[in-house]
Amino acid sequence: MHKNLENYLEEISHYLSGRTEREEILSEIRSHILEKAEQESGPVSEASLEKVIAAYGRPRQVAEKYLDDRPVIAPTFKRLLFRYTALFFAIHLVFIVFAVIFKKSLIIFPFFFMPRLGVIEAVMYLPAAFLTDFGIVALVLYFITQSGRDFKLPWPKFALDLDEVKAPDAKTLAAKIATMVGAGIMLALTGVAVKLFIKFQTIFLVSYNLENFRPLLLPRPGRRVSLIVIIMLAAGTIGLFIKVFALSRRITCWVDAIADSLALVLIGLLLRQQYTTLFAIDIQPAFLAKIHLALTFTLLFVALMIAIDLVSNLVRLGRKRLAK
Amino acid sequence: MRTARQEGHVMDNELGSIETEMKRGFLQLLVLIILEKDAYGYAMVRAFRDRGYEVEENTLYPLLRRLEKKGLIQGKWEIGEERPRKFYAVTSAGREMRDGLLAIWKKQDEIINHLTKEK
Repeated sequence: MHKNLENYLEEISHYLSGRTEREEILSEIRSHILEKAEQESGPVSEASLEKVIAAYGRPRQVAEKYLDDRPVIAPTFKRLLFRYTALFFAIHLVFIVFAVIFKKSLIIFPFFFMPRLGVIEAVMYLPAAFLTDFGIVALVLYFITQSGRDFKLPWPKFALDLDEVKAPDAKTLAAKIATMVGAGIMLALTGVAVKLFIKFQTIFLVSYNLENFRPLLLPRPGRRVSLIVIIMLAAGTIGLFIKVFALSRRITCWVDAIADSLALVLIGLLLRQQYTTLFAIDIQPAFLAKIHLALTFTLLFVALMIAIDLVSNLVRLGRKRLAK
Repeated sequence: MRTARQEGHVMDNELGSIETEMKRGFLQLLVLIILEKDAYGYAMVRAFRDRGYEVEENTLYPLLRRLEKKGLIQGKWEIGEERPRKFYAVTSAGREMRDGLLAIWKKQDEIINHLTKEK
């Protein structure tokens, strides 16, 4: 018994679990290694075996060569995996939005289950939903691959096609001037908002008469929502100024990705706002409910657009070529 | 822009991967030829090496197993000597396959010779 050889075979055996011919495979490898060690270095020793074992290859690599070459998912279907997952997830997302807006749980057996969710819970639920969709699509493609039959699965085109996301073009002078003007406007807006906030503790006013100003929102939520909007404006301004002076396209992508992430967090905070205790002016309850619905829907739509932009920026950043 | 060193590295990798692909079929043919006379794995590795052809041992044994499963070669354990060895021999189906592969090989060789002479 040579301990190092037996340990090596034990490791290979582990990777060949479940194969009926495992013992025979191991016997053949054992015989080969012992004979080679003897032929090349004389009487077999732990040291001579070590040398032959090292040359034979890592246990997992050795075991893999005995396994069937048939892939889990056929190469022709691999591209479909993410494409179909994205499609499935988009449908899932629509159902989640419905579940949030109408406060109902939805079941489409066996694919979708959306429990009744609040906005924050819905955001937390998204990764789990994505993983479920990925798993279902992978499972279906696995079964199709293993069946060995020729299926012609369609290739749907999306508005955001990750394969077609291009690096942004190098900035022309006109584009730089436009960005600079935009940054100037944003700076002015931020300045006005900050000035209003210092004076009235809110930026949402019904009347801007200095002697008799009337806030649109109640003091506490008014302060909170105003601060969120000011942070959004300030972040947008800083982002635009960085983009004006950015030396590489990679920095621009980073700025956009960070701004998108921040915007998503701020929209999440806005969505948490209680609407029944928001307005300082009298609004009919039925009309208030409609405002609530419209605002929630608008914010969710904006969040979706920002999320798409965030994904495309992350795809751009993930491409090494962009840095060159 | 890739540097000359990077280009060389890419070239080496590509050459290595094509060589691996070419070797896969070539090794099958070599095995079917050499097993006209019974032989075991290590003896085959030695025989190939003596003729200037290095075989990865961990590739040869899985290949022998696959050929055996297809009925192109037949294996038999011999326990009598100091350690057990599995001897293989080509079957009639294997001989047929070997002749077919040799015909393809010769045809490919002719095409390459023809095309390189045209240059």
